[in-house]
Amino acid sequence: MLVNILIGTVAFALLAPIVGCLLAGLDRKLSARMQGRVGPPILQPYYDVRKLLGKENAHVANTEGVYIVCALVMAIFAGGIFFGGGNLLMSAFVITLSALFFIVAAYCTRSPYAELGAHRETLQVMAYEPMVLLFAVAFYMAAGSFNAGAVFGLEVPAIAKIWLAFIGLLFILTIKLRKSPFDLSMSHHAHQELVRGVTTEMSGPTLAKVEIMHWYENVLFMGWVGLFFVWGNPISLVLAVVVCLAVYFLEIFIDNNFARVKWQSMLKWSWVVALICGGINIFALALL
Amino acid sequence: MALLGFLIGFPLVIAILLFCIRNEAARSVLVIGGAIVIAVASVVTVALHLSSGFVAFACSSEIIDYVCTAIGVIIAVVIVYFAVRFKNILAGALAVVQVVLSLVFEFGFAHGVHVEYGLYLDNLSLLMTVIIGVVGSGICVYALGYMKDFQAHEPEGAKDRRPFFFGLMFLFLSAMYVIVFSNNMVWLFTGWEITTVCSFLLIGYTRTEEALNNAFRQIIMNLLGGIAFVVALFLCAIQLNTLTFQEFLAYGLLAPAAVTLAVVCLAFAGITKAAQMPFHTWLLGAMVAPTPTSALLHSSTMVKAGVFMLVKLAPVLALSPIPSTMVVLIGGVTFLLCSCMAISQSNAKRVLAYSTIANLGLITACAGVGTPEAVWAACFLILFHAVAKSLLFLCVGTAEHHIGSRNIEDMDLLFERMPRLARFMMLGIMCMFIAPFGMLLAKWATLVSFVDAHQIVLILLLAFGSAATFMFWAKWMGKLAGIAGEPQNVELTVHKSEWGAIVTMVLLIIVACVCLPIISALVVEPYVYSVYGLTGQGISDGNLWIAAILSALVIVVLLFGLERKSKAKKADAYLAGVSADNEARTYRNSLSQTQEASARNWYMDNIFGEHIITMPAHVGTAAIIAAAFVYAIVRLFV
Repeated sequence: MLVNILIGTVAFALLAPIVGCLLAGLDRKLSARMQGRVGPPILQPYYDVRKLLGKENAHVANTEGVYIVCALVMAIFAGGIFFGGGNLLMSAFVITLSALFFIVAAYCTRSPYAELGAHRETLQVMAYEPMVLLFAVAFYMAAGSFNAGAVFGLEVPAIAKIWLAFIGLLFILTIKLRKSPFDLSMSHHAHQELVRGVTTEMSGPTLAKVEIMHWYENVLFMGWVGLFFVWGNPISLVLAVVVCLAVYFLEIFIDNNFARVKWQSMLKWSWVVALICGGINIFALALL
Repeated sequence: MALLGFLIGFPLVIAILLFCIRNEAARSVLVIGGAIVIAVASVVTVALHLSSGFVAFACSSEIIDYVCTAIGVIIAVVIVYFAVRFKNILAGALAVVQVVLSLVFEFGFAHGVHVEYGLYLDNLSLLMTVIIGVVGSGICVYALGYMKDFQAHEPEGAKDRRPFFFGLMFLFLSAMYVIVFSNNMVWLFTGWEITTVCSFLLIGYTRTEEALNNAFRQIIMNLLGGIAFVVALFLCAIQLNTLTFQEFLAYGLLAPAAVTLAVVCLAFAGITKAAQMPFHTWLLGAMVAPTPTSALLHSSTMVKAGVFMLVKLAPVLALSPIPSTMVVLIGGVTFLLCSCMAISQSNAKRVLAYSTIANLGLITACAGVGTPEAVWAACFLILFHAVAKSLLFLCVGTAEHHIGSRNIEDMDLLFERMPRLARFMMLGIMCMFIAPFGMLLAKWATLVSFVDAHQIVLILLLAFGSAATFMFWAKWMGKLAGIAGEPQNVELTVHKSEWGAIVTMVLLIIVACVCLPIISALVVEPYVYSVYGLTGQGISDGNLWIAAILSALVIVVLLFGLERKSKAKKADAYLAGVSADNEARTYRNSLSQTQEASARNWYMDNIFGEHIITMPAHVGTAAIIAAAFVYAIVRLFV
């Protein structure tokens, strides 16, 4: 198992940025079209990051960069564990560790805007965490193992048994992908009351690392989505990719059509959804 | 067996000496020397008995039985004395009830029951031995420096009662050893009551009105548990004709229905001692005591005796639905609600207290589930909670004496003001709530055990409770991590004894996190196997090793990777372009005045506040316990 995870980590470290970068470019293009603009080229996120990497290294607090490197490395490990067929809970926990480093990086600057963003990011983690755990539990009960690799031994894809948990995961995915209406901590839309939030004080190479980290994260989360649709048949991988693209499109659509909500609504609804979708689903599985 | 006797007797001797000695230098020598001897003896005990599994020692003596009776009477006299002196009728009445019951029991029933094997050892006792011997005595060493500062802060001419304080601390350790080694339930009960009365005296140490109120609240709640314990002793002697703990547990496995009431009583005693809802308020009140007391009560003694009892009962609980339901629900609800209430607190010690209660709730729930996986998880929760929580209490205590506050808001910029301490505190916090550190791995195993046991309600309580846990720890950690300007370093005057204890805890955390798979293989798995005949590791070895490697990585970065020097250019924080003095985070407001931009933490008091949660929680949990008792009593007669 360790060898698989090692191979998975290396492959994920090398390939995920390419996929993630393309996804990010697609996001910007589609968003622009939805807003009646032409939009940048698909490779624009790559050009942005390349330019950021060439800028001078400047910090408000010198520990900021260290925390961001940790966040990036942990995101890679989380993806490596998942795509190496490893434990789903482990992957979820390590990506939470990455989120923690990202939050502490914002806190350590002690800048009012960044701190506000960090508070909100913390709240967002609290909002989505129950559903992530319940998703992993539901998957375990459906597939008989916490290991992502177990899907290849299934005769029916997991979605057949845990479609309710899938809906719950879609709901909190909007928070995880930082899409409106749940883009409280930072946003891509310039009209929000707090735009950059967490990343206010991050610039140059540090900001580039944050962008790359988001690419990794997005690929990992899409992997979680695809997990529901894979079974023993290799063709199912194609189906999973198609579903991932559809889900990604749906998230962009939601992003462009909803106004940001207050944090109270976000916390309330994500917990209610987790309780209903996750709770009922695992309850039903336990009865069967 | 000589080692067991030594571990019980030696701290007792030190305690008696400390009660008598008033000289400060002599006390220091005695405390440090005693602590080292106890720690070494604990480690030696573990090393010698690690592979021996369960061993019972033939040990019975009429004299010890009479000594236990005498101790019971002395305890009652002490409580009644304080109850009369400070006019607390309820505490006095309960103490009288308890001592009368135990005397009736001792002279009317116990003498017909012979206990051949009075002492025992198994791997759970060994785990507790290390926690008591190393963490507990480390806290005693820490107390030397802390109490010196504490005494200096007392008003002029205040009586120096430190001999009393240190004597109690070592007495506490001795009593804990009695609890974890006793196979004779009467001896076990005596140790149990000594810890109760020691913590009563320690909480009331300052003799302020608040301290006395909280001390009496503690003694009342724990006397209720003590009375339940005596009732369980009656039931054992009358129904089963045994007072040997192992025999009682074995009998419980054969005929769970027959021991229902006794198990409910013992579990109730465990729940009161482990400060589970609705009895959690005594542990919250206990924080009025000097910080080493809190550290001792929260990490290695007192509450751990409660969960130790529950984990011992776990195999029986797995077979008896009513006590199990009570324990599971109380533990699960306590975990969720106390994690939520911790969000609303800004007092660092209160946050730690809520976190302790919540984690004990998780251990309680694991014990209630009672499967091998759950017991594996409970053992690691006990271990990691002990080391991480003691580190955090010691850090908060030291910070309090150097920044003059225990409020988390005042820990702003601690990263620069107390650089070493802040890093240690961050390590302690991370160990409490985030992967890949031990506490989270134990929570993970807990989750797996709940799923395998189909405990849906517990899964939900755990999922939401863990999310709340993230919130209150992450915002505290963020507060510590802040860097702005170049504040003065105020940690240069920290006592050497305090550093010694803190660094010991840090090393323990590092060893425990990195060697988790080894501890599992050598200590916890053999214990689970000896009890159930099954292995119970809910997480595969491969995943444990991945976590161990990742935690080593994070520890290295945290302790060595966050140095001040950096080649990068220093930039100003963004203050919307109107900053006045960027280092001080001040800006010009719309009236051209200078104003400081500062962010406070987020407490969400109108969602997670105590005033919203406490009342329904008390009613609900009290109802659960009452229902379990009613059912068990009805079953006894029908």
